[in-house]
Amino acid sequence: MLIDSIPKALAPLNLEKVAPGEYAQTGCHLEVAATPEQMPGVAQAMLKEGCFLESLTAVDTSKAAFTLVYHFANFHELCRTVVHASLPKEAEAPTISHVYPGADWYEREVYDLFGIKFAGHPNLKRLLLPEDADFHPLLKEFPAEAETKAEPEK
Amino acid sequence: MITSGIEEKTFVLNLGPQHPSTHGVLRVLLEMDGEYIVAAEPVIGYGHRAHEHMAENRNYHQFLPNMGRVDYLHALAFNQGYCMAVEKLLGITVPERAEYIRVITNELNRLTSHLLWFGAYLMDLGAFTPFLYCFDDREHILDLLDRITGSRLTYCFFRFGGVPADLDEDFIFGCRAFIKRLRSRWVDYHNLVTKNVIFIHRTKDVGVFTKEQCLLYGITGPNLRGSGIPYDIRKSEPYSAYPEFDFEIPIGENGDIYDRYIVRLREMEQSCRIIEQALDKLPNGPIMAEKVPKRIKPPVGEVYQAVETARGEFGIYIVSQGDVKPYRIKLRVPSFANLSLMVESFKDNLVADVVAILGSIDVVIPEIDR
Repeated sequence: MLIDSIPKALAPLNLEKVAPGEYAQTGCHLEVAATPEQMPGVAQAMLKEGCFLESLTAVDTSKAAFTLVYHFANFHELCRTVVHASLPKEAEAPTISHVYPGADWYEREVYDLFGIKFAGHPNLKRLLLPEDADFHPLLKEFPAEAETKAEPEK
Repeated sequence: MITSGIEEKTFVLNLGPQHPSTHGVLRVLLEMDGEYIVAAEPVIGYGHRAHEHMAENRNYHQFLPNMGRVDYLHALAFNQGYCMAVEKLLGITVPERAEYIRVITNELNRLTSHLLWFGAYLMDLGAFTPFLYCFDDREHILDLLDRITGSRLTYCFFRFGGVPADLDEDFIFGCRAFIKRLRSRWVDYHNLVTKNVIFIHRTKDVGVFTKEQCLLYGITGPNLRGSGIPYDIRKSEPYSAYPEFDFEIPIGENGDIYDRYIVRLREMEQSCRIIEQALDKLPNGPIMAEKVPKRIKPPVGEVYQAVETARGEFGIYIVSQGDVKPYRIKLRVPSFANLSLMVESFKDNLVADVVAILGSIDVVIPEIDR
């Protein structure tokens, strides 16, 4: 059972929190809190358990920090693990793309939309927006409407 | 010592962004050594419409129509994923009849998506006739869905707590007649394509996805099942009314293009089975949950909901801070991961196989760009 073996596999990493989640409400069986520096270790442990990286994203939580959110699931057994990692703004997070090559694009997307840099990423450049864009649209400070409105026709 | 006098060099070949076989605006830079591909780099984002940013700036109801425009070929699965996630946040239970209607329309939509892939893919390979066959069939489904949902492609049919319109007798009759007709067509499909020697030679042992690659890249959907892993959210994480139906998950063996083709064709047969059972067992009762608030304001929390689309796992991650607008919505789309592995599988293949591999993973580019 993954719900027992994943906490055992994560135990040597001394994570902040490894607890069963409320599946009926959140869709996740295990909830984990870690620091961004611990993420390569967490990813390696999850890969050893045969889990795949379902999604990797970020949330602009507050003025001081982002939260990196990783979801892991398994092809053979229903057990979804969510890992939250709080990252101070202006700080860099280590990449996990050397563990999961699929994370390469997810990290590029997070860099593109939030401006979070992943240390050790082989090819960290914009993915969805044009290369010469000078903004990161999913930051909460990014305006929702255009600053200049079109003049009404006379 | 005699040297040939020819320097070994690679060159870059540009595919797209306007190319008939990329099914959307995708550009791939191929580094070539003669006719063989050394490296490939896709350039995406031409169709970026900032759906995730839009989500943060409108309320839950206002974001519903966006879901039909992420993956326009299987829009109802995206409708369902979003509605289920919000229902989970609010704690709403959907009535049984509504769940059945969701399953029936969803599976019909899956059929249209697979049929379109079938026709368009074979056209990529140079076979024009199958396209005419499957578009003929697909048209019947579009008419049926149009009758119920009011649109032919970018559906916005599901609501929080149920569905807005009930099935009528004409729909049920038409649906049964269509399934009967589609079943009689499999013979033509297989005679025309599956047994075709040219098709077999172009697809067997080409563009192989190994099980290990699938794990590392997070591949889902028919592309994963073609490699022999029976992972289908409808079975492995049952949702809606799916646990009440008897159906199988077709899988392949080698993970090549041919296996992915067979998996999709057999999946269509399973969809027909699901629709038939759902029509047989269709319960009576309300189609909307009672007490759905007009103003959706979910409590603080977050939710992850996965559903199976025609291309794989669609996951939606919603963070609510107790406001009328979502704080963050992340759309985990299947084609995103599928395309990132495809680039790997291009390596050491002939340039002539690029179109065959690209079409076989069934990417929908607007879904990747979001």
